[in-house]
Amino acid sequence: MRAYLSTLLLAASATTRLGAASDDAVSFNRDIRPIMSDTCFHCHGFDAKSRKGQLRLDIREESLKAGKSGAIAIVPGKPDDSEIIKRIFATDPDDVMPNKEAHKTLTPAQKELFRRWVAQGALYEAHWSYVPLKSPAIPALPTGGRNPIDAFIGAKLAEKRIAASPEASKERLLRRVTLDLTGLPPTPAELASFVADTATDSYEKQVDRLLASPHFGERMAVWWLDVARFADTVGFHGDQNQRIFPYRDYVIKAFNTNKPFDAFTREQLAGDLLPGSTEEQKVASGYNRLNMMTREGGAQPKEYLAKYGAERVRSVSSAWLGSTFGCAECHDHKFDPIKSADFYSLQAFFADVKQWGVYADYNYTPEPELRGVNNDSPFPPEVKTTSPYLQKQDARARREIAAFAQAKTDPAKVAAWMASLKDYTERNPDGWLKPLGSFEIHKAPVAAAPVNKGAKPAPNPSTGTPVASSAQPLAAGQPVGLKKALTKGENLVVALKPGALRVAALRLSLPDAKPGTRSSLTVGFAVRNAAGKERKLAAGFADASIHDIKYAGGAETLGIGTTWALTVPTAGTARAVWLLDTPVDLAETDTLLVAIDGAGLQPIEIAVTPFGGYDPLTVGPTAKSAAEQAVAYLYSVQPTRADFDQVKLMAAKLRDYRRGEAWSLVTEARAPLTVRVLPRGNFLDTSGPIVLPATPSFLPGLRTSTEQQRLTRLDLANWITSQDNPITARTVMNRLWQIFHGSGLSANLDDLGSQGEPPSHPELLDWLAVEFRNHGWDVKRMARLMVTSRTYRQSSSLRPELKEIDPNNRWLASQNPRRLDAEFVRDNALAIAGLLNAEDVGGPSVKPYQPEGYYEPLQFPNRSYAASKDAEQWRRGLYMHWQRMFLHPMLVNFDAPARDECVALRSYSNTPQQALTLLNDPTFVEAARVFATRLLARPAGEDRLDQAFRLAMGRGVKPAERTSLTKLIADQTAYYTANPDEATKLLKVGLTPPPTVDPAAHAAWTQACRVLLNSHETITRY
Amino acid sequence: MRPYDPIAHALSINRRSFLTKSAYGLGGAAFAMLAARGLAAPAPAPQKGWSRGALRSPDFPVKAKRVIFLCMAGGPPHLELFDPKPVLKKLDGQPFPESFTKGQQIAQLQGAVLKARGGSFDFKKWGKAGTEITDIFPYLGSIADDLCVVRSMKTEQINHDTAHAFFNTGSIIKGRPCMGSWLLYGLGSETENLPGYIVLTSAGRTGQQPISSRQWSSGVLPSKYQGIQFQSKGEAVHYIGNPQGVCQSTQRQVVDEIRRLNGGLAEETVDPEIATRVAQYEMAFKMQTSVPELLDFKSESPKTIEAYGIKEIGDGSFASNCLMARRLAERGVRMIQLYHRAWDLHGGLDNGMKMGAQDVDKATAALINDLKERGLLEDTLILWGGEFGRTPMGQGSGRDHHIAGYSVFLAGGGVKAGTTYGATDELGYHAVTNVVGVHDLHATMLALMGIDHHNLSVKYQGLDVRLTGIAGKVVKGIMA
Repeated sequence: MRAYLSTLLLAASATTRLGAASDDAVSFNRDIRPIMSDTCFHCHGFDAKSRKGQLRLDIREESLKAGKSGAIAIVPGKPDDSEIIKRIFATDPDDVMPNKEAHKTLTPAQKELFRRWVAQGALYEAHWSYVPLKSPAIPALPTGGRNPIDAFIGAKLAEKRIAASPEASKERLLRRVTLDLTGLPPTPAELASFVADTATDSYEKQVDRLLASPHFGERMAVWWLDVARFADTVGFHGDQNQRIFPYRDYVIKAFNTNKPFDAFTREQLAGDLLPGSTEEQKVASGYNRLNMMTREGGAQPKEYLAKYGAERVRSVSSAWLGSTFGCAECHDHKFDPIKSADFYSLQAFFADVKQWGVYADYNYTPEPELRGVNNDSPFPPEVKTTSPYLQKQDARARREIAAFAQAKTDPAKVAAWMASLKDYTERNPDGWLKPLGSFEIHKAPVAAAPVNKGAKPAPNPSTGTPVASSAQPLAAGQPVGLKKALTKGENLVVALKPGALRVAALRLSLPDAKPGTRSSLTVGFAVRNAAGKERKLAAGFADASIHDIKYAGGAETLGIGTTWALTVPTAGTARAVWLLDTPVDLAETDTLLVAIDGAGLQPIEIAVTPFGGYDPLTVGPTAKSAAEQAVAYLYSVQPTRADFDQVKLMAAKLRDYRRGEAWSLVTEARAPLTVRVLPRGNFLDTSGPIVLPATPSFLPGLRTSTEQQRLTRLDLANWITSQDNPITARTVMNRLWQIFHGSGLSANLDDLGSQGEPPSHPELLDWLAVEFRNHGWDVKRMARLMVTSRTYRQSSSLRPELKEIDPNNRWLASQNPRRLDAEFVRDNALAIAGLLNAEDVGGPSVKPYQPEGYYEPLQFPNRSYAASKDAEQWRRGLYMHWQRMFLHPMLVNFDAPARDECVALRSYSNTPQQALTLLNDPTFVEAARVFATRLLARPAGEDRLDQAFRLAMGRGVKPAERTSLTKLIADQTAYYTANPDEATKLLKVGLTPPPTVDPAAHAAWTQACRVLLNSHETITRY
Repeated sequence: MRPYDPIAHALSINRRSFLTKSAYGLGGAAFAMLAARGLAAPAPAPQKGWSRGALRSPDFPVKAKRVIFLCMAGGPPHLELFDPKPVLKKLDGQPFPESFTKGQQIAQLQGAVLKARGGSFDFKKWGKAGTEITDIFPYLGSIADDLCVVRSMKTEQINHDTAHAFFNTGSIIKGRPCMGSWLLYGLGSETENLPGYIVLTSAGRTGQQPISSRQWSSGVLPSKYQGIQFQSKGEAVHYIGNPQGVCQSTQRQVVDEIRRLNGGLAEETVDPEIATRVAQYEMAFKMQTSVPELLDFKSESPKTIEAYGIKEIGDGSFASNCLMARRLAERGVRMIQLYHRAWDLHGGLDNGMKMGAQDVDKATAALINDLKERGLLEDTLILWGGEFGRTPMGQGSGRDHHIAGYSVFLAGGGVKAGTTYGATDELGYHAVTNVVGVHDLHATMLALMGIDHHNLSVKYQGLDVRLTGIAGKVVKGIMA
């Protein structure tokens, strides 16, 4: 018993939906090819290896020949003489086709279609998506219509005698188009202004406003990031972080600046190969690096390079060609004319993408460039670039620190402090004092516990016995120079006499070190008073002018900790500065002890300064502005510990903006690897022929390499967007249509091949594709064309009377309602609440609240998740940290893909997990309570409920809703008045400070707001 | 041969009321998605009983109704557990014959000198059947007559991540549904109060490897078929608990109000998703009530808890998860998958095995006994095993990954108990007799559930995607 007949059902429904009435001509592409593809081609199609009876049905000439048995499969015009008709109508199980092994059956309607098709002459057509693009004639426009889209849709509706739906209400229309173009809801003010605007082009003005919004790029990026399989982690095994966010910024910017789609294509596939390749184009080429990667122990580099190469073919063919090349990795495609050689020829374009199969330093992977790579390392090649977002945050953070310091310090006291250091500064113009001193060699110092995990323990200068010491005191500024290298277990302790001074920072320099030598110094600090009593000093943040780069979780570690490891540079003196946490007041008789573990023969110069600051390398008396002086004062004098700690926190956050610098995976070309056809996809089998880059043989405009001239990724990109290639424009327009209508004109967005669905309006799709290609691959123009059509503007209430004739609404007699994508479910709730941080565009990924312990099964390295603690918490969903192996549960629950591979079509499920997320995820609970605060902040006389509905659903409250919610609020107010502790708990969910007044009312309104944020209408774009 | 209507199924909990109440029947976004996936079809009346999912009626006699998969993540060594090899023991420390290894895939031992490593533990013949099981598994030994040991497993992927993917989905292409999702899709769940497919994880003291949530992803199937992971820390199910300051009765009021609002919407807008949404909120609320009851182990006797070897209820141990597995099985959960991350013993094998045995042997045996006592074993299919085995060659004090031959065992519904099936060669390298590939195992498991594996398929990118791909044959020899 065959239980599930998806395949046939598709074919059956396709024919009933789109098929011809019994007197119509049967169309091969529309009616016959889908059935043949599903039921015949496996044994009688493209793949010679699995062909049976020497019969091939995909080519007309072949099917008119006699097969192995001598019978002729198709005799045009004579169904009764045609073997295939006899066989599909056969009742004997031994004769019937498709046969038992195929696990396929034909319905009576399908059999009849075949008979009619043969009777009508068995005419074949080339597959619709592969034939060259020609602009079809535009049918007559419906009355009053201007948009050609409506002509195509209207003609079909007229043919079917179906009336289009009326236009949606203005409120619903603006909400629809705002959500579709920006992923955000309209504000009540925008709604009011649009409703009041009676101009004939009032709608078009809104569309233009939205297309010009920076949120348009964010919205479209969600689509493209799925296609490009953008993620923050590598996906295999340890799922480590990769540095790639600038690529996301590139995509957002490309849509916002309306970069032509052909340039967009070239830059992603071959940005590095463009003449004079810009930094932005290099970042774009990160597309080729977004395949999953591994550094698993025991993984074989060759196997993984084969996996990466194959994935790239699947992704590129799916993203741009709407074709499923996947099967051709192992064998010629059974249903489409895609050969194994096509698969590997396409892969060969990418044979120059520099990448390692296994990103690790194992003894069986001796790769010089991977020396020292560990689980915290990044995944080169990368490019260093700048991030406008980070630059902006950096500037803001600096301003905030300055403002904070000024607010917390008395200008008179700052001036007095500066004055008190006047003499000192005259003697030491750069602020650094090189004191007199002496040194000792200590044996086996007891190591202090390391401050940071993984850091080398700091030597403890106050313990251990000196085994040697300097014969005479060091002169001021004289570097400590050892005559003989220290042995293991010995370290150097330098005793300095700075005199009475507040010391905020210490500096080590290597004035005469030999360039190229390695050095690794670990320091510890202490003070010894006149009585010989010693106490240790804690080092705060430290940085060096040059130091080895270390990584944690794929990102460069900031500063140097207590160990300064470096290769001595050829020019300039290397120096490292440690801020003291906190500064120390030395008495005249105190000795400052500096223990240095790992000192070699290079002289070490030590200096101290009374000037602090958040950047160790720039501390000194150079502060000019009042704000700078206030910061230095706060750091150096630290009037209160709390302020000092606060400014330290602010500085740590500032450093995390990395002066606006960022790294991003890029494509770097290397000598191309040899690419062979791998029999059955087996990477160990090298018996297959070597292939050179070539465009797919079944598509027009074939380009092939020669021995002399090997085609490049740039050639591929140029072919993809060439006039010859019809399928890219069709693919992209079909997907854009899906964004605005909930379904593509061909519903299978990821397969325009013969197993996909023939388009409902093939002429419209071709017309759109030609418009797109011939008018500069202009995405905004096409989006505008689509959303200004009457077809788009119809009511989305489905049509019960059309249930039988058009159950899938493929003729588009109405709009389709659609649940928001996962990211927009979040954005929408935060925007409604007034909590969304929508001002910033771009930047690194952020971390919204996430259930505790969710990353527990991740290892290499172990992972913890720290939710963002500032305004980053409320950034848009597209900026959420995309952990491929454990995608945020909210995203999973609302059908966002992990982006392991190219995804052209998300599913839209409707599950209890979605209900639980909206009800209980702290993001949505916090949004509800902030939404409540927003409403309660309105003047008491105002209609708050009405405002709530305008914010959440873009319309006013209905009487029944008012009655019901008013009662809910009254009940909840009574409950929370009686249970004030419960109200307090509810109002504490999330980072936003709780309201200070009237907790019962806030809690009750929070409950009402939860209802609104959970409503189906709120998460649906109607 | 009645075609099934998966749309109504995917959209609706209560299909009948959905289809009759909704003016339009089907439409909207979910429909567009399903149509695109090729799931669109006319709607026949559903059949009750065996399946609440996409499948209509069984192809084979139904022996098992649910699966408990005890996944020994990391790859436990067959040579220490179920497959004694005296010849290998004799060869211990000697060069490993190249005739076995030539042209074979090697993981961490790439480029190393290969030496034989004899099994570390002794074996006993247990039960009436005399099944050979390691000394360090005395509890499982004591129920050997309930087990069917398969010594001739073979897989295709030699690294953890891809091997798990292959073992769960039958494919290494991302986005393929896993075994549990297929079962849920095909058969539906027997409970509406809990997710139909639940995953629990635990970690041993050594030999841990990461595991990805991809392993319980529904892939190209709608996300309602994904496995739901019960967390060992914090809330058992994400977002199952009410927000702070909201008790169950106030939550109920909120859910009721959401229903009223959605009802008002449905009066003026034709969109079948609204009715579905209402049903999902009801189910969510039921889950909020059922999960705390599920987690309340008060009804379990101290004797039971001792039998599993549980130190502390809900401590996230494999033993505690085993008891939870029984509770889930009782409540009608279709697929229960336990990952125990402990077996990647490249080094420290002897000690790691002893610790692994302590954590797993007693608890697994207790689970099987407990199910048996409650009459649940007869229709519960248990699978115990890893994503691959370990090499007969040593790697320092451990063993490397091995795919050419290894062991798993099955128990329960329809399994030929008290048997050992298949064999590896004299060194335990290649499965040579009655070889069972991963697709064969899948096909057999489905067959025990009454399903012809050819028939459990979904259309994706123009292909009929199946758990068994285009391969898989039912292994009659392990079926009772």
